[in-house]
Amino acid sequence: MTKAVIAGYARSPFTLARKGALARVRPDDFAAAVVRDLIARSGVKPEDIEDLIVGCAFPEAEQGFNVARLIGQIAELPETVAGMTINRFCGSSMHAVHIAAGQIAMGAGDVFVCAGVESMSRVPMTGFNPMPNPKLYEKNPGAYISMGDTAENVAQRWQVSREDQEAFAVRSHRLATEARDQGRLADEIVAIPANGASVSEDGCIRPDTTAESLSELKPAFLEGGTVTAGTSSPLTDGAAAVLVCSEDYAERAGLTPLARVVSASVTGCDPTVMGIGPVAATRKVLARSGLDIKDMDVVELNEAFASQALACVRELGIREETLNLDGGAIALGHPLGASGARILGKAASLLNREGGRYALATQCIGGGQGIATIMERM
Amino acid sequence: MAGIDKVAVIGAGVMGAGIAAHVANAGVKVLLLDIVPEGAENRNALAEGAVARMKKADPAPFMSPRAAKLVETGNLEDDLDKLAEADWIIEAVVERTDIKQALYAKIDAVRRPETAVSSNTSTIPLATLVEGQSEAFARAFMITHFFNPPRYMRLMELVTGPSTDTDIAGRVADFADRRLGKSVIAAKDSPGFIANRLGVTWIQLAVGQAFEQELTVEEADAVIGRPFGIPKTGVFGLLDLVGLDLMPHVGASLAAALPEGDAFHTSRRELPLIEKMIADGYTGRKGKGGFYRLNREGGGRQKEAIDLSTGRYGPARRPRLAELEGVRNPRQVFDDTGRIGRYAFAVMGGTLAYAARLVGEASDDIAAIDEAMRLGYNWKWGPFELIDRIGGAYLAKRLEEAGEPVPEILETLGERTFYRVEDGRRQVLQPDGSYADIVRAEGVLLLADIKLASEPLIRNGSAAAWDIGDGIVCFEFTSQQNALDEEVVSLLASTIKLVKRNHKALVVYNEGSNFSVGANLGLALFAANIAAWGEIERLVALGQKTYSALKYAPFPVVSAPSGMALGGGCEILLHSDAVQAHAESYIGLVECGVGIVPGWGGCKEMLARWQEPGALPGGPMPAPSKVFETVSMATVAKSAEEAKGLKFLRADDGITMNRDRLLADAKARALELVDGYRPPEPHTYQLPGPSGRLAMEMAAAGFARRGIATPHDLVVAGELANVLAGGDCDLLDEVGEDAILELERESFMRLVRTSATLDRFESVLETGKPVRN
Repeated sequence: MTKAVIAGYARSPFTLARKGALARVRPDDFAAAVVRDLIARSGVKPEDIEDLIVGCAFPEAEQGFNVARLIGQIAELPETVAGMTINRFCGSSMHAVHIAAGQIAMGAGDVFVCAGVESMSRVPMTGFNPMPNPKLYEKNPGAYISMGDTAENVAQRWQVSREDQEAFAVRSHRLATEARDQGRLADEIVAIPANGASVSEDGCIRPDTTAESLSELKPAFLEGGTVTAGTSSPLTDGAAAVLVCSEDYAERAGLTPLARVVSASVTGCDPTVMGIGPVAATRKVLARSGLDIKDMDVVELNEAFASQALACVRELGIREETLNLDGGAIALGHPLGASGARILGKAASLLNREGGRYALATQCIGGGQGIATIMERM
Repeated sequence: MAGIDKVAVIGAGVMGAGIAAHVANAGVKVLLLDIVPEGAENRNALAEGAVARMKKADPAPFMSPRAAKLVETGNLEDDLDKLAEADWIIEAVVERTDIKQALYAKIDAVRRPETAVSSNTSTIPLATLVEGQSEAFARAFMITHFFNPPRYMRLMELVTGPSTDTDIAGRVADFADRRLGKSVIAAKDSPGFIANRLGVTWIQLAVGQAFEQELTVEEADAVIGRPFGIPKTGVFGLLDLVGLDLMPHVGASLAAALPEGDAFHTSRRELPLIEKMIADGYTGRKGKGGFYRLNREGGGRQKEAIDLSTGRYGPARRPRLAELEGVRNPRQVFDDTGRIGRYAFAVMGGTLAYAARLVGEASDDIAAIDEAMRLGYNWKWGPFELIDRIGGAYLAKRLEEAGEPVPEILETLGERTFYRVEDGRRQVLQPDGSYADIVRAEGVLLLADIKLASEPLIRNGSAAAWDIGDGIVCFEFTSQQNALDEEVVSLLASTIKLVKRNHKALVVYNEGSNFSVGANLGLALFAANIAAWGEIERLVALGQKTYSALKYAPFPVVSAPSGMALGGGCEILLHSDAVQAHAESYIGLVECGVGIVPGWGGCKEMLARWQEPGALPGGPMPAPSKVFETVSMATVAKSAEEAKGLKFLRADDGITMNRDRLLADAKARALELVDGYRPPEPHTYQLPGPSGRLAMEMAAAGFARRGIATPHDLVVAGELANVLAGGDCDLLDEVGEDAILELERESFMRLVRTSATLDRFESVLETGKPVRN
């Protein structure tokens, strides 16, 4: 069976929603810039691309109209490149890779661009017209539970203290700051034209974050709770993309793949503790690939909240020295639809940079799901 | 003559920065400069810091974020040349003659010949300031004395010198009046001008006498507060507000400037306790506390007052003074022969006598002195209006008895009053003993003047309608605090009929400190307590019907608020064709705070405004969500400009900066609308129904989990969500205005029957604030 490989990764800078440098840039525009740059730097022939698959959690307004097709046109891809927008909330663009890998496996294409985009400045989380189903809500109020509430639930049920959450957030900011200062993020970032300027720096990282400064914040979601704005990923604007192709194609075209996709999984869980989703998804993908968590040399676990990230780390026994080596979403930001492509592309490039054999990328998903991918170094 | 399109303010201290902010509030570009701090990395640090602080300050110096963007910051070394762009340069630097004079020489070198220059000095005479300056500078120079905070205090004293060019001064005065909204009071070039000279004397008397007559600070504030129409902060509360440390400076500089024998000197006392308080950092609200403080020890909030004899704080007590009970005229307080009467007379008798001595010295215009104290110190009555209430002859007699000299103007006055009404015109005594009409500036129209000269077209106990000329009728609330009750509503209905028959347009306006604080909760609580539910529902329906009649009347309706326009008061604005708002209008639908929903069409009108094309993204949810956010939080706009952002006002509604020009502007707006007027078309709504209600309820529940919303807040929010979602409608339905009015009425009635809502009514009536239940 033909294996899919990750043959390139790029992303926009991640900047704070509403206040950041991308707030006034259309998401289809900055996503197109990322897609175009990824194609240029990977050396793939645009006409070979089968499909552009774009994940987006709130695909409406400027992210509406099957935004994938439009991003393809803005990026001036050949007309023959198709476009599909998919939504699995935070897992959207990771799942785009799963779809591509599946297509490749069934011989339905050789080259796919798998991207994700979210402007949380320009399309609010919930969308413009949230209209929950009253009957479902009556039966299962958790169906629409807000993310902050799930973070509190996880903190309570898995006994993650506020101090631990804050230490985790400090770690995330420290690692991200070091990575940025040592130029380890520059390679993956595509400069975005923003109203006359060029934006090439991440905007969410706070190098001065300390346990003390975090301890002064008020609980953000629950009176007397433990989760604060400082231990949550910020609302973020950004896009990310990975090039997925068949191993054969990569060889034929002379590309330099970063990693091979070994296995993938998705799973549902209780929506009220959605943050624990990576646990079941990871167990499933490990079983599927016959590997153990100890085999993972690189782990990218999306930090939606420190509470859920820590609960997953503890449940799965993830070793700290493998985890989010350049910082995670608490520091870098979490543009919902884009995060999956970022952590998957990041894990693949870390495998190359750090050495080691296997990498795990996994995320929790609002509404109660988990998603996971295992990759192997080429 | 050229106007003023750009202003420069030099000195980014509290006054300079505040003046700059207020110029920006007028929509005028302003350059704010200060010195380069020694060793500073950022050479504009002082001006930038001031702007940054003001953006966060409360009460806000800026009326809108847009205004803040009009302030350009800089420093006196790099940006002096930019003064050439300014049409008016305001100096507000430290009160030192040498520094000011040196600065003027620099300004003079770069300014354009027609550029006005003024100082905001409160103590240095104009004659001193222009010494050694060029003739051309003296021609352009004047004193413009603003009061703190410059946005909110309506007084500006204007002092011109013998060389000041009248055109240049006129341009500044006109700008200050129309654009900055100030009442410009011409003062002579005498120390302290008008308001501060009298105000500081009053403060010194009040403080010194409290020590001498051994009154507590609470007693002193109670005696000279309400009975004399002075804000209830009295004098000690006022000092806490402005800062205790300010007074010694102002007092000393006035003492140095005023001639020997001036009664100001006799008001001064050495007060070791106050010196110690200042030295220890007890400088008032900005410091560790003042004469009053909030003791937060143990997590509580205990208001404490200082004991003037021991210097120790104890719980503040509301004094129960028999001497003040049933006082209708301040003279009754003077008549008391005990310590309260003695104190009152020593302070207020002394102050009023001193005011009388200022006639001729600080100003020849008695009405101007009164206005200066009303607007500069927020007195309800100026000193001469107070003397009229007390009796000029009585005051003269009391002064004589006390062995005090009787001021000349009181002798001139004799048995008469300073003000009188002659043939419907208000007149004021002149220094020569004659009376002259009080002449309003062009474009100033006051209902108070109209009321002196005419009878209302119709009136009842809570409202009146006046003919204000040119076919325009003015509808005025006259109830306590302009609260809305059945009488107001029914007279409004009658007025609509009357205007339809005989007039061209209607203006809703009054001269109270607040346009209206909303419906009369006392009456609603009374009706609820006797379970007169039918009565309550009838009144809700009557209000809806009348406000709709206002909206669809065959003539234009312009409302002109100033101060608070809340609840039912806000709903009047929402049903008007246009609003001409005073810049200091505080507008909001606050019903949810007291446990009800807007019931007189407020929900309906706000929904319509937010559903206008282009206001929000499409679909059924954005408008209800937006209105829900604003109304469930009982949001009140903190300026007319802010009210536009919240859509309590329309984008094309007018804003008048000067309170005294509001009625004339509103009338002009109404006249503009008369030709070809057609009433608006009813709005139809596309609303989300139960799904939308759930989305809004879920948002409110999030607030409850964070401890921001209370259990009853959730009940109220649920009812509001139901109204805004259109009840059980389907999103394909076209919902009409009547259906939303019915939802408003139903929700209102369900809520008013809950004990939690009635508890809120009760606590608002008792304490001014709703209980958090």
